Amino acid sequence: MIGHRLANLAILGLAAAICYGMQTSKPHYADLTGPIPVRGGMGDDVKARLFQLRVDKVEFAKILAVSEFGKDRTLTTGGLWAIVTVELAATNSTTTISEATWQGPTGLGYRETERLAMVSGLPPFTVEPGLPARGRFVFEVPPSEISGATLLVSNERAFALDSQARITLDGLRLKPDGTPEMVADIYDMDEPIQ
Amino acid sequence: MFASMRSRVRAWITIGAGTVAAILAANLLGAFGALPEPEIPVFAAGQEIETGQWRVTPLRAFVTDQRIYDAPIREGQKALVLEVEMTNRTAASTTDYFTLFKHGLPVGEESETPFVMLTRDPSMTPELHPAMKERVAFVWALPESATSPGEIPFSVNTKTYKPIDNLYGVPGWYNEQELGRLVIPVSEASG
Repeated sequence: MIGHRLANLAILGLAAAICYGMQTSKPHYADLTGPIPVRGGMGDDVKARLFQLRVDKVEFAKILAVSEFGKDRTLTTGGLWAIVTVELAATNSTTTISEATWQGPTGLGYRETERLAMVSGLPPFTVEPGLPARGRFVFEVPPSEISGATLLVSNERAFALDSQARITLDGLRLKPDGTPEMVADIYDMDEPIQ
Repeated sequence: MFASMRSRVRAWITIGAGTVAAILAANLLGAFGALPEPEIPVFAAGQEIETGQWRVTPLRAFVTDQRIYDAPIREGQKALVLEVEMTNRTAASTTDYFTLFKHGLPVGEESETPFVMLTRDPSMTPELHPAMKERVAFVWALPESATSPGEIPFSVNTKTYKPIDNLYGVPGWYNEQELGRLVIPVSEASG
């Protein structure tokens, strides 16, 4: 009689432990519907669902020079400006690529800057199939977040069950301490994209 | 032996349930209302404050009728400016700072949400990036008749990190509460 009860208790305890284990190890909704990564390196054609992207070069600068509404302006930053030049193509219909994040080696995410409001050649980029376009993503990053960084590009900021291009920035020329070899004093955003 | 054990367990459970019920009833009737509230810390200018998402150092505050940092203050309004240095402690760029400071002036709804301007170059609502310290001005629009300068109390608010929220299961910062008060002299000056 008592052995029976103890066995029941043990089964109940075991069931509770299994349920708890399943609850804690369950993948989160955000993980299940999160970005589907498409990986590549610099110079590779990385094919996401709606667009294709190639990172051509990454430049660094201390100051950005822009002209907005005919007025010249310079923008400083607490870190460095990182200017990523990309070639973009649409897969099979017109698409808009608007979201890019510079992810540092420790996972800190630096969204593209919103301080350049009226400069051409910046996201959002609308590309047509068969008509590749060039563009620039501009970030503010601390020098310590440059070595080992990844560029994350997607159509939109918030999305579910869609792909995200993740480009390892492996072709940067860096000094032994991880900071870039070449940092321009001023980068002119009005120069044509090359 | 087991019979006496069972009666003992039953007695313990009865006592425990009774105690819990008594405490709950007392709580409902307001017996703990008289407990002293925990004291709210008071911060001063120049002191580094750590809220959940931000590390923030208030620098100065002033009231001005001049245009300041290109904040869209209309004519017939004054600007109450609080300049701070702040660092994003989270892992992502964010603009979640509009309720970080609330001024304690009784001046209507429209002046409750500040304009937040970067002082480096006047960008409105700048995204602040992880681990990058920036100097930022919180600018509130006040009616011209609003205040005589002196000291304006600000409340400093904080939020709590939840790794999984209840609605979408995503991480985020929720449940804003007051962390402390900032007492800072407010001068009538233009920056």
